[in-house]
Amino acid sequence: MKVEDILKLPSMPAASPSYPMGPYRFVNREYMIITYETDKDLLRAAVPEPLVPNEDGHVLYEWIRMPDSSGFGDYTESGVVIPCTYKGEPINFTAQMYLDDEPPISAGREIWGFPKKYAHPKLEVASDTLTGTLHYAGQMVAMGTMAYKHQESPGGIEAAAKGMTKTQCNLKIIPDVDGSPKICQLVAYNLTDITIKGTWVSPARLHLIPHVNAPAADLPVKRIVGGKHFIGDLTLPHGRVLFDYLKEA
Amino acid sequence: MNKHDVKSLSSMPLQSPTYPRGPFKFFDRQYMIIRYKTDPVAIRALLPEPLEPDGDVVAVQWLDLPDGEGFGAYGAAAQTIPCTYKGEHCVFISQMIVDNCPPLAGGREIWGYPMKHGKPLLHVTGDTLSGQLDYAGQRIANGTMVYKHDAFDHGNIAHAEEILNRTQVTLKLIPDIDGRPAIAQLVAVKFTNIHVKGAWNGKARLELIPSVNAPFADLPVHHVVGGQQFVTDMTLPYGRVLHDYLVG
Repeated sequence: MKVEDILKLPSMPAASPSYPMGPYRFVNREYMIITYETDKDLLRAAVPEPLVPNEDGHVLYEWIRMPDSSGFGDYTESGVVIPCTYKGEPINFTAQMYLDDEPPISAGREIWGFPKKYAHPKLEVASDTLTGTLHYAGQMVAMGTMAYKHQESPGGIEAAAKGMTKTQCNLKIIPDVDGSPKICQLVAYNLTDITIKGTWVSPARLHLIPHVNAPAADLPVKRIVGGKHFIGDLTLPHGRVLFDYLKEA
Repeated sequence: MNKHDVKSLSSMPLQSPTYPRGPFKFFDRQYMIIRYKTDPVAIRALLPEPLEPDGDVVAVQWLDLPDGEGFGAYGAAAQTIPCTYKGEHCVFISQMIVDNCPPLAGGREIWGYPMKHGKPLLHVTGDTLSGQLDYAGQRIANGTMVYKHDAFDHGNIAHAEEILNRTQVTLKLIPDIDGRPAIAQLVAVKFTNIHVKGAWNGKARLELIPSVNAPFADLPVHHVVGGQQFVTDMTLPYGRVLHDYLVG
């Protein structure tokens, strides 16, 4: 294999790259997001400076079904997102993510620094209940339930689509081969080409079970704020460096 | 978390790093290595410059890793290609499949081990040491070896140590956030504290089934040379950059 071909490879292994070049198109992506209030001191510890966590102590616990994702296939994801501010601007920080498919784990970690681990999340409609579960290393670590399409979201699909354009960010850490940090950055991105096909709000409940390697329960549920369910198409493009710890910290 | 602590994290995510700092010690690591002749043109196409092919005998190996520090218990399978770098005999790791996330993420991010998630299994059934490899629900490799037929050949241990001491080479590719390459390197890894507890040679058979996302069969089996079974303790240390494609 020649050097010019090596430099054109999107990812490892050279014999069959895990993921192609972006951007990545998602069709019929289905979300269940349960917003809850947690302990503010624990939230502060979970958010890297210079991000500032929201003053209300809110956390978003999410399940996402992705049946048709270019380059990645068919998979499900679950995780923890913390609304924050960066230099006063609102931004969502992804704190933990669990999914059942390797290419989006590798691409997610290596391109954008999504903090992804392999686990078994599931989002399904079970009779009258939209139900999310997450199993890690054989044990259940999260169970979320939401009443099924009780009410359309205020503002409808337009407001939901606008909400999806909010800037999101991750802490990207990639070690060098000697163990020292090679990349240590806050990385930001914005979803594009968003079409929301339906959006609902309903009562919800969330149960988090302590587990050392999937510690969603480290941000305990003090009060449920509400549940949101929506389906849409969107594009995940490349992103930009917001803050470089190796240069600025 | 303050900025200083962020810089000292071993890996993502902040709240529970996927893997700790190395080195990583492995106990009772078991290998079945099946060596076979393949097509030299296919080898040349897969081997990144400036590595040079070193013969036309490649290998598919299964590993059972019951006790890996920081990683836990898991299985692995790999396709390896002998090569030379500036005259030194090395082994290029072309593809690896594992069933556990911390070694997958740590393997890719630290050393550039070309790992994907699948279902490798190495086991003894009746009189046969048997390796299977499934990817995306389909069988893609099937290897079998006779069980400890040459149990009294005392030269085996020294031969196993020589094989395990060979420098492994990986092609580490990590994109930048804009999609351009941030890291494009050949990385060298040399295991340390190798303590071989048992080593056997014997007859083996290997079947590779074409599958696009785990294309072991792209190096077709022309003729099986033989099988090797090792049980060993060894330590995986950090590596070193052998060649940097983005410099010079």
